[in-house]
Amino acid sequence: MALIDQHEATVLPPRRYRPRPPLFAYLASSPTLLMVVLVVGLPLVYSIWLVLHRANPITRKTTFAGLSNFRNIFKDPAFWEAFGRTLYFTGFALIGTTVIGMAIALVLNKAFFGRGFMRSVMLVPWAMAPVSVAVLWSFIYAGDVGTLNAALNDLGLGAWTQAWLGDGNRALNLVALTHVWNQAPLTALLLLAGLQSMPASLHKAAMLDGAGPVGRFFRITLPWLRPSLLFVCIIATINALMAFDIIWIMTRGGPGQATTVFAWLGYVYSFQFLRFGEGAAMLYVLTALSFACAIVFVLLLGPSRWRRRAQADTANAGAPNVAEAAVKARPVTLEPPKYKAPLLPRRARRLLAKALFRLAVLMIFLWSAVPVLMLLNMSLTPATDLIRTPASIIPSALTLDNFREVLFPDGGTTSTQSKRVPISLMNSFIVGTFTVLIAIALTPFAGYVFARWPRARSFQIGLWGILFTRMTPALTLVLPFFVIYRGLGIIDTRTGLVIAHLSILLPLIAWMMKSTFESVPQSLDRAAIVDGCSRFQMMIRVMIPVIRPGLVAAAIFGFLVSWNEFLFAMILTSTPDAQTIPVVLSGYLQQARFHEYGPMFAASVLSILPPVIIAFVFQRYLVQGALSGAVKG
Amino acid sequence: MSSINVENVRKDYGGVKALHSVSLDIKDGEFVSLLGPSGCGKSTLLYCVAGLEEISGGRVLFNGNDVADRGARERNIALVFQDYALYPHMSVRENIAFPLRRQKLDSALVTKQVNWAAELLGLTGLLDRSPSDLSGGQRQRVAVGRAIVRNPAALLMDEPLSNLDAGLRVHMRTEIKRLARELGLTVLFVTHDQEEAMVMSDRIAVLSNGHLQQFDDPMTVYRNPINRFVAEFIGSPKMNILPAPNGNAKIIIGARPHDMNLVKDGKANTDDFAVTGTLAMVEPAGHVYFLDVEVGGTLVKATTADIGWSAGRR
Ligand SMILES: Nc1ncnc2c1ncn2[C@@H]1O[C@H](COP(=O)(O)OP(=O)(O)O)[C@@H](O)[C@H]1O
Ligand SMILES: [Mg+2]
Repeated sequence: MALIDQHEATVLPPRRYRPRPPLFAYLASSPTLLMVVLVVGLPLVYSIWLVLHRANPITRKTTFAGLSNFRNIFKDPAFWEAFGRTLYFTGFALIGTTVIGMAIALVLNKAFFGRGFMRSVMLVPWAMAPVSVAVLWSFIYAGDVGTLNAALNDLGLGAWTQAWLGDGNRALNLVALTHVWNQAPLTALLLLAGLQSMPASLHKAAMLDGAGPVGRFFRITLPWLRPSLLFVCIIATINALMAFDIIWIMTRGGPGQATTVFAWLGYVYSFQFLRFGEGAAMLYVLTALSFACAIVFVLLLGPSRWRRRAQADTANAGAPNVAEAAVKARPVTLEPPKYKAPLLPRRARRLLAKALFRLAVLMIFLWSAVPVLMLLNMSLTPATDLIRTPASIIPSALTLDNFREVLFPDGGTTSTQSKRVPISLMNSFIVGTFTVLIAIALTPFAGYVFARWPRARSFQIGLWGILFTRMTPALTLVLPFFVIYRGLGIIDTRTGLVIAHLSILLPLIAWMMKSTFESVPQSLDRAAIVDGCSRFQMMIRVMIPVIRPGLVAAAIFGFLVSWNEFLFAMILTSTPDAQTIPVVLSGYLQQARFHEYGPMFAASVLSILPPVIIAFVFQRYLVQGALSGAVKG
Repeated sequence: MSSINVENVRKDYGGVKALHSVSLDIKDGEFVSLLGPSGCGKSTLLYCVAGLEEISGGRVLFNGNDVADRGARERNIALVFQDYALYPHMSVRENIAFPLRRQKLDSALVTKQVNWAAELLGLTGLLDRSPSDLSGGQRQRVAVGRAIVRNPAALLMDEPLSNLDAGLRVHMRTEIKRLARELGLTVLFVTHDQEEAMVMSDRIAVLSNGHLQQFDDPMTVYRNPINRFVAEFIGSPKMNILPAPNGNAKIIIGARPHDMNLVKDGKANTDDFAVTGTLAMVEPAGHVYFLDVEVGGTLVKATTADIGWSAGRR
């Protein structure tokens, strides 16, 4: 008896016990919290002020408007149409990313030759900037010379060619599909982590208990993945609700209003109609929607109530000494289940399963890599080939001219847009590096404090604040940034961009650091202190070296986020001095001069080079970054 | 219940040979232990019998029928895993009922069987709990319950007791043996603990590096080990290995510590084997003392019931 029950005596501190953090905790976390208040809190407060006021763009007078901005948008039929489209887009994206992500995760969870390589390939669409993704896919779907039409021509199916994004409904579906292509790897990654934490014995046991592959998926795998699925659904929904870059590049809300979702409508209200209050109201509706969806998912997939811990008294009643009870005979002697000889012999079934599995791996490769390889192909195709009719995907020759044009612009022939590419690559690199360096210098201290004193009220508020910013569209912050920067005179500077990117990266990396420190046993802190370290020395000499892999992961991940960021970079820069590569890429499309497709694809390839290298060389860190709570869109 | 015949079963993992031609004939209702150090292929053999791993050569027969064409699902084998493999999202009741439900049995029958198994294992009050709310010993019993609730052809157990603490382990091994006998189960029990194997089994199969060393009843394995590996592996403390007194290098002598006793006044019977050495350490073990005696540079373990000396004396 006593032997059995002593396992249950896990000592938990009483719920209400909140240890008072030492002064060190406040000192260590204050730089990060202060920065977050500055770069996130301040713009957020300003946007709340905006939403409560009405500005007259002509007289430049603002008056307090209360909630009338919300009333106005609710009266606008365009709002409700966009609402419907947002729900459709989000539903499409949620189902698409979950189904495809699940399929990828299940396949890549099996051991096979080349799995590491396939995992890297699978990650590429997600590591790429949404702008690069959209540039690629908008050309694939383009009318006349688009890749899809060219491929159809080559296959002799010329009759099927069309302007794929020309029809409203189809455009919405295709944009959503592109979003799915971009986001499914994230879902796959998170589910893969869930699958890998599943003990192998679980499936073996179920197999012996007579469950087939389908039964095991629904009865064992899915329930096991429930916590991961909850997280995945929330992240996928938020990312779909906030999707902006892809729409900006591919359709700009069109044709007509067919792809005008909330994020786009909020952008149009704010930056085209200059109705800031209503634009901000629109975006806060988006925040509310994010929260609502998150709550729905928690209710649907969260820990279920019926599994409440049983009362302690039934626990004791339930452990009689077995030795005292006589072994009773079975009530019914069960017949062994009838063995039906299967249709195919076991060997054949195994071969068939193997073939199907190979096919699945091939499909994942095609899905992930072919569009990227097409991009590479187009960047090596002579610019004139890209606009020939009838279109063809087979280049007449392979050339490096496009790369030469964007990397070594010369005075005469190079277009203005192409001349901007080298500088923008450098800008992207500088901005990314500085943002990451600042974030990495500050956040380990805050992360440590969050991990060690999670119950201290002040830090809990900080953590909830970080979560809240995750549910706020970047569009909400960008307008305040714009206004503040104009006042400070740092618009169109790399410094300004670094600060803006910090508003994304600080919360993200602080969260990652928190998860990283949670995996460091607390005995290490105690050992360091007993060995004579001050708290600060403990951080520098013991903790930082211990979490170095986590730090590297955060740095790589943060750099990628900054490198791929589009919205802030677009709104807060205007000249090549500070423009980053996604902005220059998008500029190509605005000019839409046919002969520039070649250089545009060369620039695209350059823009996805760091993400692809990271996916292949630093895959481990990228995965670790994504798993330690980083939830980049 | 079935008899199980393992005939020359081989298992290669790529280049690693986990099993080299192992043969066992297990009779219906017999309790057989697979004993060996970790990594010797015990789990692999178990999985091959269960159909969880494809064998690379040889045959597995249940009741004389080759089961090569049956997958793990179709062999009607029950396996208790070392980590118990309870389905974490199901209650204890659902865990135990799971194999019956897969057979699409009538739900009244399922209830009856589950209640029977629960009562048998003292789990009745725990049926609505989640596995995460159980202690290690309780989880272990749920795993056993799930295994015996149907009528399996054989019950395989992969180190089921190694995660329990010492007292509970001793208790459970008696329980399992009793259960197996009274239900007439054919049991293949994996352990790396020689004492466990000794007390539980009808026969012990000793494995080392994928080779079957000896397959005999416990006392034979203890008294007549077939080779040095088995001799050293069985028995605690370990058997002493000594050179033969006549100087023949080809012969070594194994002497169990329990058979090496102190001789009063240095006078041994002439036909007994005797060694002389320095007493290095005394370990009191309750009913006896263990003596570490240094004999020509090696430590020899001996026992005595009573000792008047202290360490360091000759
Ligand atoms: N899936 C596998 N792939 C490669 N080698 C394996 C695999 N499973 C087991 N082995 C090897 O087979 C040998 C026997 O393993 P196992 O049967 O698990 O040992 P035991 O259960 O006796 O500790 C070990 O050397 C182990 O490394
Ligand atoms: Mg094992």
